[in-house]
Amino acid sequence: MGSIMSYLLLGLKVACQPINIMWVTVGGILGTIIGMLPGLGPATGVAVLIPMTYAMGPVGALITMCGVYYGAMFGGSRSSILINTPGDGAAIAATFDGYPMAMQGRAESALAISGIASFIGGMISTVLIIFLASPVANFALRFGPAEYCLLMVAALAMTATMAKGNVIRAFISLIFGLMISTVGLDSQTGIPRFTFGFLELLSGIDFLTVIIAIYALGEVFKCFKGIEEGTKKMQTKFGKIWITKEEWKRCWRPILRSTPLGFLIGALPGCGGTMASLLAYNNEKQFSNNPENFGKGEIIGLAAPEAANNASSVGALIPMLTMGIPGSGTTAVMMGALLMLGLQPGPLLFQRNPDIVWGLIASMILGNFILAVINIPLAGVLVRVLAIPPKILYPIILGLAFIGTYAISNMVSDFYILVIFGIIGYFMQKADIPTAPLILAAIVGNSMEVYFRQALILSNGSLRIFTKSTICIVLLISTVFFIALPIFRDTNLFKGKTKKAAA
Amino acid sequence: MNISALTGIVTMVFGLIYTWMAYSMPRASIGKPMDHIIFPLILGIGMIFCGLLLFFVEGRKVMEGGEKREAGAGLARDTKLIIFTCVMAVLYGIFFERLGYVLSTTIFIGSLLFVLNGKKKWKTNVIVAVLFSLIVYIGFSRLLSIPLPMMPILQI
Repeated sequence: MGSIMSYLLLGLKVACQPINIMWVTVGGILGTIIGMLPGLGPATGVAVLIPMTYAMGPVGALITMCGVYYGAMFGGSRSSILINTPGDGAAIAATFDGYPMAMQGRAESALAISGIASFIGGMISTVLIIFLASPVANFALRFGPAEYCLLMVAALAMTATMAKGNVIRAFISLIFGLMISTVGLDSQTGIPRFTFGFLELLSGIDFLTVIIAIYALGEVFKCFKGIEEGTKKMQTKFGKIWITKEEWKRCWRPILRSTPLGFLIGALPGCGGTMASLLAYNNEKQFSNNPENFGKGEIIGLAAPEAANNASSVGALIPMLTMGIPGSGTTAVMMGALLMLGLQPGPLLFQRNPDIVWGLIASMILGNFILAVINIPLAGVLVRVLAIPPKILYPIILGLAFIGTYAISNMVSDFYILVIFGIIGYFMQKADIPTAPLILAAIVGNSMEVYFRQALILSNGSLRIFTKSTICIVLLISTVFFIALPIFRDTNLFKGKTKKAAA
Repeated sequence: MNISALTGIVTMVFGLIYTWMAYSMPRASIGKPMDHIIFPLILGIGMIFCGLLLFFVEGRKVMEGGEKREAGAGLARDTKLIIFTCVMAVLYGIFFERLGYVLSTTIFIGSLLFVLNGKKKWKTNVIVAVLFSLIVYIGFSRLLSIPLPMMPILQI
């Protein structure tokens, strides 16, 4: 324990050099701006900045990348709240309640709580990473393909049953999302699946394109209906970016509950922020006394995923630094950068380059403070977006959606995919099918199938591998529980009981 | 027939087509021949099952107050707007690389603005369209070094 403290002090000394403070600030501001643009998330942000980091040396490079990563996590939810367009996957959950809040004229509180929750989530998990790096890494090592596959099934089932409206519709959306992920060249056999002979589809459909299509285009299409009558009000007066005491009282417990959850999920390779924030959202909906408020501008529904999201971005560094297994797209890019700088992530990194590892961890503490400080005034500027009349704002959102799609793949063919999924999203809304399960399924679908097939190869085709370990059984039971829950909830018997209990 | 029953049928048909396509995919020559087909098959069958369930459970419920149908005099204004946006987006895709980012985006955004915002405010429309495409172009290609197609002759 004493050695950890001395290492941390060493790290703080490295991080507090003026040049490094400057890098983390520059990285944070750049990351916030990149994170706000639809389609550009932390992974793109870090990747774009790799050439810049050559000149800085390994410590400066890592610290800047962390600043960008953090900033993008802060910034991603800004566009979710203000224009219902998540900057990346992890910010989806912020649209559920953040956008309704902005529509009700509470954008100031929404932006403030998102910043505060992100700050607390990031801060606590930085403390956690200091003490838990090695035990968490050991626990994650016990997850084999079967466990990962079941973890994803459990997360998907949970999202489907918690989604707004009907469960059968949620499962339709879920399966459709998984189907989207099967498009493309199969990586193991090399056989094209569902490409209809189009070469452009061989690389599959990027889930970010689907997200932008369903959220940005779908939202604009939906709003065309009210645009003539001018039902969507513009906000012209803005208050201070802060929350009330009462809002804080309601939020602090959800934030504290969601932080460890996000941290743990982030530490599992391949899960990342999207799953962390969605699970935190569902979790709080379960705990809540009035879950019907979720999705209609409930502040808890914004605070919880935001805290989990930032906690997971810190947690994701654990497998990358300790085992050399990146937990998310962003950490994969960061690991690539580390390798290019001649550093091999893994257990030995802690022994050979303690200054780099602990400098990085200390810079996260610093980065958190700096981002919280620059984000509150930045939000005051950004909230003015709501003063743009919708007739001008919607074409601009469409323009951003298309450029975001192009930035992901550099292929014009994705424009057509965007249009097709925008129309699908519009009809899904008409048919009351929730879109969140589709998105999560499209994101994890690929790795879920890979894990499923790996598990079957390990067991020689027997399904019994999915019940072999304790982790598997716990995950299976929770999946069944999540699917059965709404059935229990909807039966009259159960309703009568709760009424009696309440009386 | 209410919207739930219709959704159920659409889901079922989609599931059937998907399952059939999955089953008729070529078998793998290395490893297990059905390896890449099992997962899609499970999905397709799940989809058919969900469609059936929706059709029989929800489809029979009578919608409250009957069907709400909007007056059928041609297409509604918002439907027309959606179709217009999609057509413009496809044209945008076709001309994106030929005209370059700045020009094609100005035309795309400008056309949407003219339809939504009206012809009377043409000054605002032109200014917004030109400024948006220029700012995005400079931001992406110069600051983030993400290459965007350039305009012919002018090279911006």
